Amino acid sequence: MGITRGVMVTVLFGIVLFVMIPIYVPRPSFIPGFAPPPDMWPRVVSMLGMVLGLLLLGLSLSKKTEAIADPDSASEIRGNTPLRTLLARFGLAVLAFAVFVIAVELLGFLLACILLLGAVLVMTGYWRHKWISLSVAVVLPLLLYLFFSNALNTRFPAGTLLRAFGL
Amino acid sequence: MLNDLLIAFQAVATIENFLIMAAGIWGGVIIGAIPGMTGTMAVTLALPFTFYMQPIPSILLLVALYKGSTYGGSVSAILIKTPGTASAACTTLDGYPLARQGKAGKALNMALYSSCMGDFISNISLIFIAAPLALLALRIGPPEYFMLMVFALTTVSGVSGRSLILGLVSACLGLLLATVGEDMYGSFRFDLTLDMRGGLAVAPVLIGLFAIPELLKIVVFRNTGTQKAMQLGDNRVTREEFRRSLKSMLKGSMIGVVMGAIPGIGPSAAAFSSYGEAQRSSKNGENFGKGEIEGIAASESANNGCCGSTMIPLLALGVPGDVITGVMLGAFMIHGLTPGPMLFETNLHEVYMLFIGMLFSSVLLFGAGKATMRFFSHISRIPPGLMAPIVLILCLFGIFSISNSMYDVIVLLAMGVFGFFMFLFAIPAAPFLIAFILGPMLEENLRRALAMSRGDPSILVSSPITWLFASLAVFVIVITVRQQLMKAKA
Repeated sequence: MGITRGVMVTVLFGIVLFVMIPIYVPRPSFIPGFAPPPDMWPRVVSMLGMVLGLLLLGLSLSKKTEAIADPDSASEIRGNTPLRTLLARFGLAVLAFAVFVIAVELLGFLLACILLLGAVLVMTGYWRHKWISLSVAVVLPLLLYLFFSNALNTRFPAGTLLRAFGL
Repeated sequence: MLNDLLIAFQAVATIENFLIMAAGIWGGVIIGAIPGMTGTMAVTLALPFTFYMQPIPSILLLVALYKGSTYGGSVSAILIKTPGTASAACTTLDGYPLARQGKAGKALNMALYSSCMGDFISNISLIFIAAPLALLALRIGPPEYFMLMVFALTTVSGVSGRSLILGLVSACLGLLLATVGEDMYGSFRFDLTLDMRGGLAVAPVLIGLFAIPELLKIVVFRNTGTQKAMQLGDNRVTREEFRRSLKSMLKGSMIGVVMGAIPGIGPSAAAFSSYGEAQRSSKNGENFGKGEIEGIAASESANNGCCGSTMIPLLALGVPGDVITGVMLGAFMIHGLTPGPMLFETNLHEVYMLFIGMLFSSVLLFGAGKATMRFFSHISRIPPGLMAPIVLILCLFGIFSISNSMYDVIVLLAMGVFGFFMFLFAIPAAPFLIAFILGPMLEENLRRALAMSRGDPSILVSSPITWLFASLAVFVIVITVRQQLMKAKA
């Protein structure tokens, strides 16, 4: 755990420092020479992050020092569930989020929220209370939609697919 | 001065003003307690309604909303581990573990007592020390600001988790994310999409980081066994607990007053600094983060301690310290009152009316808090498997409505997934958040300081104030490392 984390942190900050900053943080020519350029701060932070990542890695290599770098272990709550099941559940949740973003474009905010809420209720295991889940999935987004659009004048996306059908 | 205060007291003590303030406090508590609905949102939405009101009642309404929402943030922080506002993020650290032990009521009561105390002390300080503190804040330049924020970040990193290194990694991640968007020279950084040119807003990052991982934990681990522990349960703060927390409350209130009076620092940094100080000086320091009631007292007294003092630079200098006081500045202007040194000469009566009204609002906060606590305690009876999806939907609607933008919703969901990874790697979320909030100011002040000195970094240790904050930061690091080494040996 500690070694993986150290590697991940080092690699993450390394990617930012060596790949992303050169591409996505330009140095405008109009800035006077003595003034710190826009990439100065991200570079400082990334370098510090890399050093900390290496430190985490170094501390995790020794049993004596591991406790300093690795006080907690999230794996404790994993229990006996196989890793594959956990990854599948996580993948499904992320997929639901991605589908929601696409569904807002097609079906509109309200319908997409109803679908997402239904899907998430299934994933949390609460769907066994079918009628409560179904009522909450439909009524809550509807009430929020009415409140926000009427009281606060929020304009929610209507959805291209529904618009095409004249809805 | 006393005579003027008495006259102002008579003018403020009307049924109409009380009702307006009560409505503001009540509305603020409810809005602050709903994840995704922020105090800024409450104040901004109420602004158009104040056009039709008298100047002082309208300002009092906005102040009441601000105070109510600052306390309200702690309600959801304690009950569902989702801080309603950024400043309540620190309350989550001890409030939620207490709720899981079946002592949600106790945590909520302590949050209310310390919020009211912080609020009251803040108002008193506003009345009596507005001008001197504002003068002191004026003398703080970019190097001092930079060092002050470095100190705040170091403290936060040291206290939020059980490893200083992981806290610092978290802070670095937050600082890095804060650089997304337009920089002080107008160039764009990390603009992977056009939307990213505007940067990442605080609300979706905050809510995403604290609310969505809770849902993902339930989905992935099916860990829904928290239902029983989430009952309101024991709700009495004993005399012994109150006495034990009094020192932290008073200290937290003073930290809130001082940090609130400095423009840009705000209640989040104050809450974390106060928490760090309380943990350092408490006999029960090792219990912080596990459900220590003193931790709640420290953070809540500090964040509400800012409510009155953020008005100090606004009233005395005409400088809004944060978004909310910025909105209030607009409200003052709409009503023909120009905040600044001249306000104390031309509109002294209105200033005193405002002071008195703010004192009343502390009492109203107590009443509204007590009543709302019972109302919100029902939240704790909803099973997590149902509650987490409901929170997700509240967040989606709340975040979308802030700027009518799907980009913010995507940021919210992405931050949720990121927050879940942070949880898996035991990286604490609090330093990330505070670094993200302070990041732009930290960078701006560093770059300004370096530009002032033509690139000479010695400017960062050029004055006694910078030395003071730098020494404090080093002190915090040494103490934290020492404590962790001792723990590792044991």
